[in-house]
Amino acid sequence: MVIHMTECKEIIQVDHVNLWYGDSLALRDVTIGMPDRQVTALIGPSGCGKSTLIRCLNRMNDLVDTCRIQGTVNFHSKNIYASDVDPVDIRRKIGMVFQRPNPFPKSIYENVSYGPRVHGIKERKQLDAIVEKSLKRAALWDEVKDRLHDSAMGLSGGQQQRLCIARTLAVEPEVILMDEPCSALDPIATAKIENLIEELKTEYCVVIVTHNMQQASRVSDYTGFMYMGELAEFGTTRQIFEAPRETLTENYITGRFG
Amino acid sequence: MADKFHDEILNLKCDVVNMARFGRTMLNDSMIALQLQDLEMARGVKGRKVTLQEQHDSLEDRIFTMIALYQPVARDLRTLVCSLMIVQSSERIGRYGKDIANATRHLADTDTTGNFISIPHMSELVVGMIDDATLAYEQENLNTIEDMSKRDDVVDSLRTSIFRECLTYMMEDPRTITRCTHYVMISRFLERSGDHACKMAEKIHYMVTGERTEIK
Ligand SMILES: Nc1ncnc2c1ncn2[C@@H]1O[C@H](COP(=O)(O)OP(=O)(O)OP(=O)(O)O)[C@@H](O)[C@H]1O
Ligand SMILES: [Mg+2]
Repeated sequence: MVIHMTECKEIIQVDHVNLWYGDSLALRDVTIGMPDRQVTALIGPSGCGKSTLIRCLNRMNDLVDTCRIQGTVNFHSKNIYASDVDPVDIRRKIGMVFQRPNPFPKSIYENVSYGPRVHGIKERKQLDAIVEKSLKRAALWDEVKDRLHDSAMGLSGGQQQRLCIARTLAVEPEVILMDEPCSALDPIATAKIENLIEELKTEYCVVIVTHNMQQASRVSDYTGFMYMGELAEFGTTRQIFEAPRETLTENYITGRFG
Repeated sequence: MADKFHDEILNLKCDVVNMARFGRTMLNDSMIALQLQDLEMARGVKGRKVTLQEQHDSLEDRIFTMIALYQPVARDLRTLVCSLMIVQSSERIGRYGKDIANATRHLADTDTTGNFISIPHMSELVVGMIDDATLAYEQENLNTIEDMSKRDDVVDSLRTSIFRECLTYMMEDPRTITRCTHYVMISRFLERSGDHACKMAEKIHYMVTGERTEIK
């Protein structure tokens, strides 16, 4: 299966982005597009800027004082760094799931309903419906439907991670960013998340950072290989893992590095 | 871990090359035995079938294990896929050698020894194709397999002409039917071996460039 870039609409376009933490340049002239309803994976050695790049996509880097960004990140062709854009609104539309599951120390129900409530939904029935729908989409409903009011901290790691995904889905985002979502999970929980990603991409644009080459090749449609703050190669996942163009990419994915 | 894997690939490649030469030599020796009417030598070729099978099984097993253990990608994966293909083709080629060695027995008691039409020429071409494919694999260099498709065309047309020639002999003199039927079969085995050389060349091309190509 070969998909050409031109066939897919890019929902996010990163254009000539440079990013500094203080004086040190962490992203160097990065240009990359994330097609809608596809999974884009970012791979590369530790410290190459994967998390920095994925955090650029929903302005999470705003939270770092020393961080300075140049260039544009367009979401539906509008620069999310424009002065009239509300970062909170961006983070609702472009949700993020982190490496370590981080549920609030509250009930499962409250974890999922928190976002919608913050966004002004008060009616119980409506919240119930959102909670059920989100948990179903996150493939967690069957496991928790009888204990929605138990503490989320009592869930297993894999369940907690799916709860975090449900929490992200509850506010109806268009893009889901995942920074190493499986690295704290066992193989069974990992497989569940991978299956879920497959499901999610029918409705969302998914961007995933992973250190696991096999995972990137299993779940993604496109892969970007980053190296020292640059996007060294971008292509269909098939092409990157079957016949990469750059020697750097080849050496990295075949484990001939350093 | 990665370095151990890459050492293993290098070792595997050496062993695959050895097996490819083993299969090729079975084919080549069977043709020598046929031309010399040397039944002893033909029996020797037949006896190598067991070793051939053992090499095939153990190399195949090693490749599967390497894929399972290391989940290779990119050139590593392409190299293993190509190696597997060469192992399988070499086994087929060796077995064609055994089949030709079997036929030697039937051709030895005819008094028209020596008349092999263009079979020896055909076998030279085919063995040359196998040698060049093996070399290309060993050195990961496509130079020797560039004209594979043209060479295969020549082999194909030889097979057709051998077939037509045999038909005329058989019509002229029914006593030649047994011998000519064997000739037709042998030319078929050689043509199949040439096809295997082409298949090998396709996979070597893929291994080296990452692009698929079809020969002929
Ligand atoms: N908050 C920060 N303040 C200062 N420097 C940072 C900050 N976050 C990241 N960096 C630096 O930016 C560079 C890129 O880091 P980043 O976390 O994006 O890498 P990564 O590719 O995600 O690595 P890993 O695979 O280890 O998660 C690194 O040199 C890192 O030290
Ligand atoms: Mg990171």
